[in-house]
Amino acid sequence: MIGRYLPVCSFLLFVIPSSALAQGISGYVEAKGFAFAERSNSRDPWGIGWGTLSTKWEEKVCEAQLTASVRGEWLTSDEQGPLAFDPADRRIRRSPVSMQDLWARFPISPSLDLQLGRFQLGWGKTDGYSPADAFLPRDLTDPFSDEKIPLWAIRLSGEARALRYEAVVCPVTTPWRLPVLGQRNAPLEVDGVPEGTVFTEVDTPPPWTGFAALRLLATYGEWDLGAWGRFGVRPAPLLEFRFDQATATPSGLSVPVERHYAREEGVGVELSRIVGSWIVRGETAALFSRDRDLGNALIGALSVEKGFGDGTLLVTLAGNAITPPVDEQLLFDRAILPALITAWNRTEEWGGWKLVWTAGLKRGDGLLKGEIAYNLTDLWKLTLGGELPYGSERGPFGALHAARRMHLALRRSW
Amino acid sequence: MLDNRLIRKSLLGPFLTLSILLFCESGFAAPDARALLKESESRHRTKTQQYAGELTVVNREGKIRRKGWKSFREGYAGDARNLIRFTDPPEVKGVGFLSLSRSGGQNPDQWLYLPSMKRERRIAAQDRDASFVGTDFNYEDMEEFDHEKYKVALQGEQTVEGYPCHTISAIPLEKGGKSIYEKKILYLRKDILYLIREDLYRKGDKEPTKRLILSDIQNIDGHWVARKMEMSDMRKGSRTTVLLKEIAFDKPQTANRFTLQNLNREGGD
Repeated sequence: MIGRYLPVCSFLLFVIPSSALAQGISGYVEAKGFAFAERSNSRDPWGIGWGTLSTKWEEKVCEAQLTASVRGEWLTSDEQGPLAFDPADRRIRRSPVSMQDLWARFPISPSLDLQLGRFQLGWGKTDGYSPADAFLPRDLTDPFSDEKIPLWAIRLSGEARALRYEAVVCPVTTPWRLPVLGQRNAPLEVDGVPEGTVFTEVDTPPPWTGFAALRLLATYGEWDLGAWGRFGVRPAPLLEFRFDQATATPSGLSVPVERHYAREEGVGVELSRIVGSWIVRGETAALFSRDRDLGNALIGALSVEKGFGDGTLLVTLAGNAITPPVDEQLLFDRAILPALITAWNRTEEWGGWKLVWTAGLKRGDGLLKGEIAYNLTDLWKLTLGGELPYGSERGPFGALHAARRMHLALRRSW
Repeated sequence: MLDNRLIRKSLLGPFLTLSILLFCESGFAAPDARALLKESESRHRTKTQQYAGELTVVNREGKIRRKGWKSFREGYAGDARNLIRFTDPPEVKGVGFLSLSRSGGQNPDQWLYLPSMKRERRIAAQDRDASFVGTDFNYEDMEEFDHEKYKVALQGEQTVEGYPCHTISAIPLEKGGKSIYEKKILYLRKDILYLIREDLYRKGDKEPTKRLILSDIQNIDGHWVARKMEMSDMRKGSRTTVLLKEIAFDKPQTANRFTLQNLNREGGD
């Protein structure tokens, strides 16, 4: 399977990128391979190939900024869907070709911008886990990456003295994309379900309406402060196991799994401050929902960061003060809570490396991640890394034990 | 993702530092280093400065790394506002760094914008001895030279690259914060009183371990500026060359350039 794609990836790596491309065009082509230590079932492959070609075009027309980017991918696993027109990433599996950016930003005045189109948002202050940012849709096709999905939205952002404001309206829901349920990237442990049960995903259409949000930010001396509020559809799905529609098959029980999307209102505050040679960041968010599977949440995160030479240490503690009505793992945007995240990265003359340890504080599981990147040249980079989930299989990380893996990637940027 | 330190050690500072122009009338019988520095700073202050920079690092093995950025400054020294936007290589393209001076000699407020995160992050003053973007400049080298933080004294005269120069010793004062250097020797061309070389002595060293050479000095918009700077690290056996292009002084900057809102403008300057 992998071999089928290697010639294509090799061709792209060596032929397509060229510094002769027009100014304002950038991108990369990458060939990546994963090798797994174990499998959750006989359908899981021991190795996966992942080829990516991404290109971005940026142009300034008068005072307007125009940006478009397209990504093409080849995955050798079931995580990729068929080629489809899916401009808002609403389908259950990712299409081999997707539009990542398609937006324009116009200055209404020197201190007021209007941005519209498809783009990514980045909110919050804390790293590792941000209650403000965790809400935004992720693609969990690779369960160990934190890949955000861009949104179709209208954003008005401005600044008046020390106050900045940002109003966002996202008229259509782009949902979280989940891995194939019941396989190594999303094993489901449901109480009372016999072994061998197969979960059949039903491609439930997400609601059309999205959400709206307002964020205010201010800087006073060494303090950066913020507050936000939002309402609308929460993009992370809630799973509905339809045991009433279960059917018996020769290999076991087949249970359809539908999805529904709750409405949620949220408010939050965020801050960061320099304390000596440390940066302290904190966030808290109160989330309200009348959905019986979601309920309310009171989430906090506190992080500290310090530089040591060319390295940085980051420690983040995050948790939810309200126990949700269902297993946290089924809520996705708060699945890992409570957790302690410790990250150490360092830039070297030849590249860089990073180590991340995420410790689940509820079930004693966790995840160790390590990566070393070697810059062959300014444009070529070789990356070797590994992900090692460990601990209780009832925890969000321990459940992924069959996804323990090493990866090797070669990237050419332009 | 580009590490924070890589950006914090902004390249703007050293260029300001190293482009100090010292004023002295010919025939000045007994020039005083402090008076010359003060006079130079007031006389050669610019309202704004901008340029495109190309940086090349050559390590001991001869391996070459290149980076590019655009730099904008408004104000000068204690009231400077700086914005740097990286343009190259692709992995750091769009990364932005904003530094706003604070009154009373406090450390400036600094933020970093990372396109991959789509948001800015406040950053702290860094370890002054850390390397900047894997170059031979360290964080302290990037800071704007403030003679008030040094005990300065004229040492004599010496010819460098064919130019007669004043030599001035600069010893860091405690009130200027902890320095990684014990001493700096500045070489100033006597004809235009422009800094063309700096020998840097780390603590306990009898010989300089780093040397900065400024060359290709031109007069642009009425201001002398070195278009090429080379920092050599004699211990590591490496050198970093910086070429300044598209230099402009006193050019009006767009409104709100030095704001957090602008820092967060993806694809913006």
